[in-house]
Amino acid sequence: MKLSKDGWTGLAALAASLILFALTLDLKPSPLVPIGPGFYPRIVLGITAVLAAALVLFDLLAPPAPAATASGANYALVLAVFVTFGLYVGALPYLGFRISTLLFVAALQGVLDPPKTRRAWIVAAVTALVTTAVCYIVFERYLQVLLPRGRWTEF
Amino acid sequence: MYELLLAGIQNVMQMKYFVPLALGTLIGIVGGALPGITNTMTVIMVLPFTFGMEPLQGLAAMIGVYVGGESGGLIASCLLGIPGKPSSVATMFDGFPMTKKGEPGRALWLGIWASFFGGLLGGVFLVGTTEPLAKLALEFGPWEYFSLFIFALSMVAGLTGASLTKGLLSGAIGLVITIIGNDPVMGSPRLTLGIRFLEGGIPFLPVLIGVFAFAQIMGDVEKMGPGRSGPAGFVAPKLVVSHAKVIWEILSRPVMLLWTSFIGVLIGVLPAIGGSAANVMAYDQAKKFSKHPERFGTGTPEGIIASEAANNSNVGGSLVTIMAFGIPGDAVTAVMLGALTIHGIQPGPLFISQQPTLAYGIFAAYLLAHFIMIAFMFIGVRWFLRIVTVPKAILFPVIIVLCVVGAFALDNTMANVYVLLLCGLLGYGMVKGGLPLAPLILGVILGDQIEINLVRAIMTDDNPWLFLTRPISGGLLAAALISVVFALWQHQRAQKKGAVPEDGADF
Repeated sequence: MKLSKDGWTGLAALAASLILFALTLDLKPSPLVPIGPGFYPRIVLGITAVLAAALVLFDLLAPPAPAATASGANYALVLAVFVTFGLYVGALPYLGFRISTLLFVAALQGVLDPPKTRRAWIVAAVTALVTTAVCYIVFERYLQVLLPRGRWTEF
Repeated sequence: MYELLLAGIQNVMQMKYFVPLALGTLIGIVGGALPGITNTMTVIMVLPFTFGMEPLQGLAAMIGVYVGGESGGLIASCLLGIPGKPSSVATMFDGFPMTKKGEPGRALWLGIWASFFGGLLGGVFLVGTTEPLAKLALEFGPWEYFSLFIFALSMVAGLTGASLTKGLLSGAIGLVITIIGNDPVMGSPRLTLGIRFLEGGIPFLPVLIGVFAFAQIMGDVEKMGPGRSGPAGFVAPKLVVSHAKVIWEILSRPVMLLWTSFIGVLIGVLPAIGGSAANVMAYDQAKKFSKHPERFGTGTPEGIIASEAANNSNVGGSLVTIMAFGIPGDAVTAVMLGALTIHGIQPGPLFISQQPTLAYGIFAAYLLAHFIMIAFMFIGVRWFLRIVTVPKAILFPVIIVLCVVGAFALDNTMANVYVLLLCGLLGYGMVKGGLPLAPLILGVILGDQIEINLVRAIMTDDNPWLFLTRPISGGLLAAALISVVFALWQHQRAQKKGAVPEDGADF
């Protein structure tokens, strides 16, 4: 028997809920209230585990689905966007909002639609600059919303 | 009530509230006109701007986005045959054929005026029912609240997806997110894995932003790449029309307008079943009751009026549930809930009596947003149409930056940005795994309240049968069971017919 997408989703959820359920067993009951901190999490994780197991079971019992045709989805681009965003999130505490946002907006435009003409390069650069400047001015100066500071840049 | 509403209107007419409302409406129309950018995405983008505002300023801006977005979606639907967002899909069925027949102005303005009238009818419902429903909710004890939240969760899980198991599992995962952190009674750390920032729990806004923004952006990114160009350039159509004639076309069908607006409101009241379901269901109803159902899909005005009246009245319904019960009707109101909690305001039964200025300000902003929407459409509909040509390679980085600002600015900590990233991965993974997102978000929003009310009920009286024997609580739990059974029956019926229902959630 072969698992489909649903079956694997169910298995992942089942594994996560069982691990977390095991962790709740370490929670000590409270002497002051009739139910301890583990009471509700155990109910929730128990239900999650049962539902995840049901998803796996239904998937195993379901008649085999016809072979899926290639969706044509550009997963390499999705991965590239997540990696670029991950680098941005990683850079924010070190470079601060202004430098990392400028680099991120420019880089992500390059990832999504690599500039080929001089005009496209200018548009990408201006978009990065304007986005960073407008965010900084509107949030920090006008709305008094603080933006991340960089440990290396100190701004 | 109406004196308070009048005072609310006078209040919102002040520049400090009117400007955010008007700007929000404009941004909503622009966001709605952009194919692939939903209202949720637009309101998430606006969220960080509201942090530095007064509560009513921020809410006025968000309501503007909501109303503007519901109307903006019809522009591309009617004129280009591309739905601006899911809740304008049915508008396209007749709007675009009417445009192709050489009547683009009529198609567009039928939709705009139907949105206006439908929205105002939704407003009548909002103003008229919120207070009585809130008074009813004041009778609730912890048993009733617990049962109400379970009912909301079961309904969303049952109605949003192709599979009830997946819907329930998604809701359960949402609840799991809320058990991480200190327990609400004694403050003991739970499942924090030694990570300090998890001790305070995971705030729901970064979860919501991460899950929705990334699920949607990545869905579009999948379709991008070399040789997959965006919409081609277009020739601006002639939009001149007799408004009196268009308004008469709508008002001469009062029963259909009322019925489809009522459908919109009703669907808005149900958690997580938003504009797209309202749009399609109203279209379906209009077709069923029409003397000429065969004309639907060929450019009949009824199709446009029904679908647009419903998706705008739906907004009124969604606002009722959040204001009377504190349960968001859809993702947009979930973000509004987050914005309110940031300002220390808890929507729910006491909201309207404790914060009458704010509550009636919300009603007023909702009603005024429709007039502002009409004004903007008169001025700029031709420009809004041009917006569809903005490349996503430029839009997406800007949206992601605003998501980061929104998450960070909640309490000026990078922890929220890490949550955003993780939830972005979770949301995309769930979409790829076929799990609906609506129950997850409702689980995250209601999880703490479910636990607090469960513990409170048991600490008050440890008899668990009270959940069933107290009439309202028992009724709500029975309704939860019925909604699950109904979803099962509906799914089996669809399977017999060979059609699996699609994910219809707007969350």
